[in-house]
Amino acid sequence: MKLLEKTSRIYLLASLVIYLAVGIAFYWIIKYMIYDEVESRLKVERRDFEAYVKTHDTWSDNSYFVENKIEVIPVSGRIRNEVIFKDTLILNRYEENLDPFRQLTFYTFIGGSPYRVAIRKSMIQSYKLIEAISATMITFLGLLMFGMFFFYRRLSGKLWQPFYDSLASIKDFDWTKSQKLEMAKSEITEFNELEDVMVKMASKMQHDYKSLKEFTENASHEMQTPLALINARVEQFIQMGDLGKEHTYWIEEIYHASRRISRLNQGLLLLAKIENQQFTEQENTNLAELIKAKLKDFEDIISHKQLSVSIDVAGDFIVLMSPALAEIMIVNLLNNAIRHNYVNGALEISCGEHYLQVSNTGNALKTDPESLFDRFKKESTGSESLGLGLAIVKQICDNYSLTIDYKNQELTHTICIRC
Amino acid sequence: MKILVVEDEKGLAESIVAYLSREGFICEVANTFWQADEKISLYQYDCTIVDLTLPDGDGFNIVQTLKKIAAATGIIIISARNTLEDKIKGLEIGSDDYMTKPFHLSELNARVKSLIRRRNFGGNNDMIWKEIRVQLQSRKVFVAEKEAVLSRKEYDLLLYFLANTDVALTKESIAEHLWGDHMDSSDSLDMVYSHIKNLRKKIIEKGGKDYIQSIYGIGYKFTAP
Repeated sequence: MKLLEKTSRIYLLASLVIYLAVGIAFYWIIKYMIYDEVESRLKVERRDFEAYVKTHDTWSDNSYFVENKIEVIPVSGRIRNEVIFKDTLILNRYEENLDPFRQLTFYTFIGGSPYRVAIRKSMIQSYKLIEAISATMITFLGLLMFGMFFFYRRLSGKLWQPFYDSLASIKDFDWTKSQKLEMAKSEITEFNELEDVMVKMASKMQHDYKSLKEFTENASHEMQTPLALINARVEQFIQMGDLGKEHTYWIEEIYHASRRISRLNQGLLLLAKIENQQFTEQENTNLAELIKAKLKDFEDIISHKQLSVSIDVAGDFIVLMSPALAEIMIVNLLNNAIRHNYVNGALEISCGEHYLQVSNTGNALKTDPESLFDRFKKESTGSESLGLGLAIVKQICDNYSLTIDYKNQELTHTICIRC
Repeated sequence: MKILVVEDEKGLAESIVAYLSREGFICEVANTFWQADEKISLYQYDCTIVDLTLPDGDGFNIVQTLKKIAAATGIIIISARNTLEDKIKGLEIGSDDYMTKPFHLSELNARVKSLIRRRNFGGNNDMIWKEIRVQLQSRKVFVAEKEAVLSRKEYDLLLYFLANTDVALTKESIAEHLWGDHMDSSDSLDMVYSHIKNLRKKIIEKGGKDYIQSIYGIGYKFTAP
């Protein structure tokens, strides 16, 4: 839910409750005041009545009380000494409808005999007054509420505008690029503070990213150069003709070890770069086409191992990813499938719109299939293997939200990439 | 043939110079950016080998200067930076080749020779070694004037040998030359062995001598028996 919508809803709900309460309270107060007024008038009339009865000791309808205003009824038995106010409806003399009255009932003695006296006052005018006031109140409260609501909405929209602008520029911000984060200045202190903090954080992120990137690059350079030196020296050394068997063995070991370190270094740096998302370039890459093209590079080794290769392309598997990483991923997958294959084995590739599957024959796994994609988890078969190939593939898949899974059926191992 | 080696790691520069000198090149070394800058403005070189990361400057600038003042010079970049961007940039600003450290000296030598040949003859000359003649244009190989039909890899292997004659070549450098970096399995060494066997057989069949000599534990040497 959007911020504006949320605050509008809360505002609307709260003001509805408050206005309703205010309206009801107002209605009751007016009603109470009107009743109070009517009842005090009735009390005065009762005193008038009692004064009349006291002086004349009798009662006759006279002009003071007209039309249903008073009703004097003789009662028998003991009289109750009580005074009752109540609402009543009485038939109108001229029009055939019932009119509301307020009635005061009390008991008194006229000429020694008990009577029940009811004095009434028409409420018709008062009710009209209450209706008019209520209607006006509802109208004005409603108008006020909606007026405030729209004012508040517009105000919030205006107040929060810098926030939305900032949000948009943060969304556009890319810490892998050198462009600084720019946010609009606002009149509001809090937003300016937010802006300051965000700009600081962004430049720190860019700085850290850059230094990390430089570190990986420098580490690569600093390590590869001495390794290049070792290699070069060993190669020179090899050229000396009179090497004994033992020397040759040592030299070979040194040479192997240095090449291994170098490849390991490159593999780990590649992983670090993928993790740091340093491959920002993206293109729609057709993995089906790519794997077909890359398979050509492996022709020699495939024919050397006499592998039977089958490719089944049911559709184009197009992924938006870095072309360099796509290539690394495919080459590592093929390399893995070929390296762990045996002579006269099979290599099957199938590809559809949402998956790419590479399966190969090979010896049963000795390690846990769960840890197959972990770094340095390798089958001991080829000591040349670094144990980084599938970790790199997994890391690339993770970067582009592709899922990768491994399953095996007896001696057929299948790795499947899906989107 | 004069070659300038721009490399700040003195030992590595020394090794390169020693290896290339054996092949008959005249080599000079520049250990810093400014030395290199001075040398290229004073002298003419057939080929320049440039390291990108120098203590006092960027190797890319040397490549750019070279392209401006001596367009005929072949340029090979050697760098520890192995990103695609660097490689593309290197080739875009005019270098002829890009090698990632660590590299094999024999590979560097082969590339220097191939570059000089391309520059000087447009690849339109023959490589001759004893009774073996390679027609580079048509990729044909003649042994004692009889054509030997070689596969693509065998042809590449022969050229690599001819660029590095009388030198011990490691199996790894041969494998890498033929299949590139990613072919790092033990299978590739077996494949080197079988390709060498075939090449040797084909040369002998056409009346050549057995020039490929195995060196125990290390690799092979192409030399007169």
